[in-house]
Amino acid sequence: MTRYLRLIRIFTGATISAQLEYRANFLGAILASLGEVGVALLGIAVLFGQPGTVSVGGYSFYQALLVVGFFMLTEGFISVFVQPNMSKISEAVRTGSMDFTLLKPIDAQFNVSTRNLNVLRVTDILIGLGLIFYAASFLTVTLGGVLAAAVMYLSALVIVYCIWLALSTTAFWFVKTQNMSELFNGVFGAGRFPVTAFPVPVRAFLTFVVPIAFITTVPAQALTGGLSPVLALASPLVAAVLFVGSRLFWKKAVGSYTSASS
Amino acid sequence: MTPFLRKFRVLFSTQFALMTEYRAEIVIWMLSGTLSLVMMLVWMGQAAAAPGGQIRGFSASDFASYFLATWFVGQLLVVWVAWELDFEVRQGTLSPKLLRPLDPMWGHYTGHLAERIVRFPLMLALGGLFAWLAGARFSPDWRVYAAVLVLVILGFTVRFLWEYSLGLLAFWTESSTSFQEVVWLVYAALGGLFAPLAFYPQWVQDIAVWTPFPYMLGLPANLIAGKATLEQAGQGMLVLLGWLAVFALLRLWVWRVGLRKYGAVGA
Repeated sequence: MTRYLRLIRIFTGATISAQLEYRANFLGAILASLGEVGVALLGIAVLFGQPGTVSVGGYSFYQALLVVGFFMLTEGFISVFVQPNMSKISEAVRTGSMDFTLLKPIDAQFNVSTRNLNVLRVTDILIGLGLIFYAASFLTVTLGGVLAAAVMYLSALVIVYCIWLALSTTAFWFVKTQNMSELFNGVFGAGRFPVTAFPVPVRAFLTFVVPIAFITTVPAQALTGGLSPVLALASPLVAAVLFVGSRLFWKKAVGSYTSASS
Repeated sequence: MTPFLRKFRVLFSTQFALMTEYRAEIVIWMLSGTLSLVMMLVWMGQAAAAPGGQIRGFSASDFASYFLATWFVGQLLVVWVAWELDFEVRQGTLSPKLLRPLDPMWGHYTGHLAERIVRFPLMLALGGLFAWLAGARFSPDWRVYAAVLVLVILGFTVRFLWEYSLGLLAFWTESSTSFQEVVWLVYAALGGLFAPLAFYPQWVQDIAVWTPFPYMLGLPANLIAGKATLEQAGQGMLVLLGWLAVFALLRLWVWRVGLRKYGAVGA
C-alpha cells in the first residue's frame, strides 16, 4: 500500500513538472473553466429570472446553485484526474505501448488511472468548491449533512471514474474511443440541474440507466439534509457495484489483449 | 464552368467521400450536443408546474417546439474549423496546402457542407422521434422553411468565418481553441440556446439585437416553432449579411497578417 502511495507521489511530481513547461496553456484552461461555469450558471439564472419562479424541480435558487457547484467540482475532477489518463488508454492500445504498462510489477489499472494529471484545470475544482461554499452559506447546513454529503460525493467520484474506465476499456476491442467521452459529456450535461427538474421518465433514466443523479443531485440533497435513507444507501452501493463491475471488465479486456503487432 | 467552381466541385466530392467514412462519428457528435435537449426538458417541467401551465405564453408543447428547433438549427450550425486550424498550424500540415492555387479556407468550408449532407437524414430521423416523444408542433407554412434555409446558410457562414478567424489565432497563441469555447458561450446565450431571447432581461435583449447570434439560432427556431414572422426573417437576413461582410474582411485580414508570422518562424 505504501508503495502505491509513493508511486502516486512520483507520478504527480513528474506530470506536474511536464505541464508547467507549457505555461501559455494556463490562459486556455482558465478560459475553458469560465466557459463551463458560464453555461451552468446561465442555464440556472434564466430559469430563476422568470417572474414568479421560486423553485426548479422543488429546488430553491441556492439549492440549485449547490447542484451547479457539485457539477463544476465533478467537471474539475474529470478534467484533472480522469480524462488525462483515460484518453491515453486507446492510444496505448493502438500503438502497442500498453505492453509496457502490463509488464510493470504494479497493478495495470492503477498505473493507467494515476499516471497523468491535468493540473491546469484545477480552476474548475476551485470554482466548484467556491460555488458550494457560497450556496451553502445561504442554506442551513448541519455537521451531519456535511458528513453525509462527503460520503455521497465520494461515492459519486467512484461512479464517475468507473463509468469512464468502462467506456475507455472498450478501446481494447474498438481501438478508437475518444468519442465515448463526448457521449458521456453529453449525458453528464444533464447534471447541471437537479434531477427532479426533469420529467419522470428522464429522471428514471438519469438515476437507473446512467446514474447522473447520484453524481450531483444526491450530494446536494445530503448537504441540505433532504436525503432519503434509501438514496443514502443506494449511492455507495451503486459505486461499489460499478467498481467491481468495471474492475472485472478491465481484467477481461486485458486478458483479451494481443498487442498491436501480433 | 469557371475554374473556381470546378475546384469547388472537386473539393466537395472529395470531402463528401471523407465525411461518409465518418458517419458513425457524426451520429455520436450529434448525440453529444444535448444542451438544447436538456434545457427543453427542464423548461417543459417548469411550464407543467407553473400556474396555468404556461410561462410567458409558452406551454410545455411550445417549449418542446422551440428547443427541438434550436437543436435542429444548432446541428446545422456546427463548426469545428478552429480545432483543425489549431492542429494544422501547430503541426505544420498547413504548409503543403499553401502551395495550392486556392485559399485553404475553401477546403474546410466544403468539408463542413459535405458533413451537413451526411448529417441531415440522421437529424430528420432523430428530430422526428424527439418531436413525437415531446409533443412538439412545427409551422405548416413552407415559406417558413425556405426562410429558415436562407438564415441557416447565412448563419453558418458567419459562424464559420468567426471561428476561422479565432482558429487562425493559433499563429500567435497555443490557446486559440479555448477562446472559441468562450465565444461559443456568448453565441449559445444570446442565440437563445438556454431560453427564447424574450425570456432574458431587457438590457440583455437590447445588446443581443446588435449581434449576429439571435438571427442565426433563435430566429430560425422561432420561425419553425411558429413564434416569429417572415418579416422578422427578412430583417434577420439583412443583419446577417452585414455581419457576413464584417467577418469575411476580418478573416482575410487575420489570414494575411498571420501568414506573415507563420513564414517568419520558418515553419
